[in-house]
Amino acid sequence: MRQLPALLAGDEFLIAKPGATPDGGSGPFQVSGFVSGVLSLTANDSSWQGRPFLDAIEIRVHRAVNDQWLDFAAGRADLIEIPAERIRQAQQQHLPVLISQPVEVLTLELEESGALSNASLRSGIGYAIDRGALANVIFQRQGIPAGALLPQNVSGFAFLFSADRDLNRAHELRGGAASPALQLEAEGDGALQLAAQRIVLDLREAGFNVQMARSGAGSPAIRLRALRVESADPAADLAAMARAAGIAFPAFSSDPAAVYRAERELLDRKTLIPLLDLPLAYAVGTRVRDLRLQSDGMPDLAAVSLEPSR
Amino acid sequence: MSLRQKLLLLFSLTIAATVAAVTWTVLLRIRHVFEVRDQEETALFVSQFQREFQSRSAEVAASVGRIAQSDRARAITGELAQTGDPAPYVNEAQTMAQEAHLDFLEIVAPGGEIVSSAQWPARFGYAEPAASAPQGGSFLKREELPDGSQALGLFAMDSVRGSDRPLRILGGEKLDQAFLAGLPVAPGMTVGLYADTQPEPAQKSSAEFDARQFVAGGGPVANADAYKPLILSTLAAGQQSTSILYLTAKREESLNVTAIPLKNEAGQPLAVLTVAISRSGMVAAQQQIRATAYGVASGGMLFAIVFSLWIAARVSRPIEEMARASEAVAGGNWDVTVEERGRDELTVLARSFNHMTAELAAQRERLVQTERVAAWRELARRLAHELKNPLFPLQLTVENLARSRQLAEAEFNEVFEESTRTLGMEIANLKKIIGRFSDFSKMPRPQLERADAADLVERVRALYATACGENVALRTEVADEPMPLDVDPELLHRALSNLVLNAMDAMPDGGMVTISARPAGKAIELRVADTGQGLTPEECERLFTPYYTTKQHGTGLGLAIVQSIVADHDGTIGVESDAGSGATFIISLPMAGA
Repeated sequence: MRQLPALLAGDEFLIAKPGATPDGGSGPFQVSGFVSGVLSLTANDSSWQGRPFLDAIEIRVHRAVNDQWLDFAAGRADLIEIPAERIRQAQQQHLPVLISQPVEVLTLELEESGALSNASLRSGIGYAIDRGALANVIFQRQGIPAGALLPQNVSGFAFLFSADRDLNRAHELRGGAASPALQLEAEGDGALQLAAQRIVLDLREAGFNVQMARSGAGSPAIRLRALRVESADPAADLAAMARAAGIAFPAFSSDPAAVYRAERELLDRKTLIPLLDLPLAYAVGTRVRDLRLQSDGMPDLAAVSLEPSR
Repeated sequence: MSLRQKLLLLFSLTIAATVAAVTWTVLLRIRHVFEVRDQEETALFVSQFQREFQSRSAEVAASVGRIAQSDRARAITGELAQTGDPAPYVNEAQTMAQEAHLDFLEIVAPGGEIVSSAQWPARFGYAEPAASAPQGGSFLKREELPDGSQALGLFAMDSVRGSDRPLRILGGEKLDQAFLAGLPVAPGMTVGLYADTQPEPAQKSSAEFDARQFVAGGGPVANADAYKPLILSTLAAGQQSTSILYLTAKREESLNVTAIPLKNEAGQPLAVLTVAISRSGMVAAQQQIRATAYGVASGGMLFAIVFSLWIAARVSRPIEEMARASEAVAGGNWDVTVEERGRDELTVLARSFNHMTAELAAQRERLVQTERVAAWRELARRLAHELKNPLFPLQLTVENLARSRQLAEAEFNEVFEESTRTLGMEIANLKKIIGRFSDFSKMPRPQLERADAADLVERVRALYATACGENVALRTEVADEPMPLDVDPELLHRALSNLVLNAMDAMPDGGMVTISARPAGKAIELRVADTGQGLTPEECERLFTPYYTTKQHGTGLGLAIVQSIVADHDGTIGVESDAGSGATFIISLPMAGA
């Protein structure tokens, strides 16, 4: 299995020793502390890549986007996350924004049993959604309507999967019968919730009886979530997506044709409906030098240096 | 029932009925006045509330107008006209709504599709049904929300000026608990809103009432089910209506509720606004007035009774005195007089009564005098008659004796002896007559003692059983039960003996004398009956008159003495007789201890 090393490198296979001192690891930085929501990293002199230029990094986790924006404007942060839906706003405000290739796939996970046990019904949901509205309005033209799980830049054959809306087809697949009551839950806030609301509207227009799931209302039939594309290996990414979605999927080779067949087969189950490919983006401070983004969209901090403050 | 009681009852009933009628009328009038005042107050409150509601509607329209005229709205209109890309403004409505403190705000493209929606941001691109609503004024609209529920809102629409194809701003304020809480309400007033904002199931009927959808400023309306008929009828009729709702059986726990239908542009009722004003204050005032009225009425009635007593006593006292005096007169006391007060009719009556009793007394005195004279005349006549009989033989004997002086001695002696014998007999006869009159005049007072009537009868029977002779039979009929009498046994024996002797005299040819004794109520009747010739009615009337007799040699004092004895024992005596079938004398004496 050619993609095994890539799979093993995933976060889910991370080996951590409970209670271990934060001096482990062979990367450029080591964890030196985590106090009051601030994760402190210090340079690892014995990194296999060599000692990084930065002596230390502080990462404020779970900080609201607007707060990050204020921190950045006040010079208290050199690097902040920019959600895809606000990239356009950041660019309009002339912030230096670094945008990755599409590394997240906004996907609907459909329950294979219960109210959506009928595959035609699940297929009709895929046709009912207006991906263009999601990409152009909610994600402010930063998303790419997707009919495939793997982005075009990863697989090269994403254009073969249609992402067009077809309301008539959706009505046809729904069968004209009264739709069962469905609940849709979005795993995330902000734009993801807005996207979920839009999807609900689209589905209602197609005759589906869908409501936004209230918190704690049980297991929803439809779940909106963003799947990460963590490597440049299409086969490994597809396998990781299936695994993240909880789908048992037979092994396949990394041959592009095999990956295409595997993806086609996975999508034909109609339990995963790709909607948009989304990038990661960061606003980078003016004193930050040589920041590049990795293939998974994460910033490579090992080569970063800072200009002295004026 | 006495006259005083009747007067008292009449006065009391009259005054009580009058007081009750006045009290009832006053209470009815007060209640009517309170009801009218309550309705006017409710109408005033409702009017004030409607003005406030209109004011809030105007505020919404003004807010929407200000947004439409804002530089930002104009900029969006211009940019959209140039780029045709609504994406940058998807969150614009939320920002504008927050700044304008509106619950609903949508930016609507000239084509009617939503550019940005504050209440449902994901609705961009969809058509807004209210895009054709008139601009400027406010209207009601039921708005769908992302969670599937609906909310009722007070909306207004305005266009962004400065463009040939202007955007429209559709904003509104949610009609909910918070909206109601922000409205000024008078003390005791509760403003509620019933708006069915839940998604309608297919089988849901419009006549169903969901109490959870009925809220006031402070939360769910208490006793919401009590409003159900009023709300449903208002929704059905689409007309404002007012009703009194009784939350419990107590009148003070009632509300004067005005239900105002809230309609959309098409005139369809979307919700019902209820303005409920507690009637507790009014009812409490009514109850206080009623309690006061009842107190005054009770006091009035009490005073009426006392006054009636006084009036009845004042009116009836002379009449009662007159009645007592009349009873006294009827009882034989003619010397009674009544007091003469004032100059009214009763005084005239009293004066007349006194005059009448005086006249009666005078007449009685004259009658007594007359009777006394008549009695003396009768006595003189009887005495003359009785004395004349023995005197005539005496005169003849004395004259014969005087003439006999001329006769020889032997013949004189014979005449002398014959004359002295005759003189002696006639003088004895005179003594006897004088003795009877003496006895009548010396009737003793009875010495009462307890005796049984049966013993009295037996004593008479034992005395006369053998004296009756062969042709007269004597028998007695005595009841078995005790017949106690408080009498003088000697006098009563004398009376009975007199009657028995009279009976025997009445039957010269023989017959039967029956002496009987029996109880008769609270008296004892003693009867002496004979089987003689009986008495005529005239004889019966005069029988007890002194010196009246039917016998050739009677004095007429026997039955008078019997009547005197009976009267001295508080009894009565009478006679019953049918011609040819004998006579029965009936003595009635009060039973001892009765």
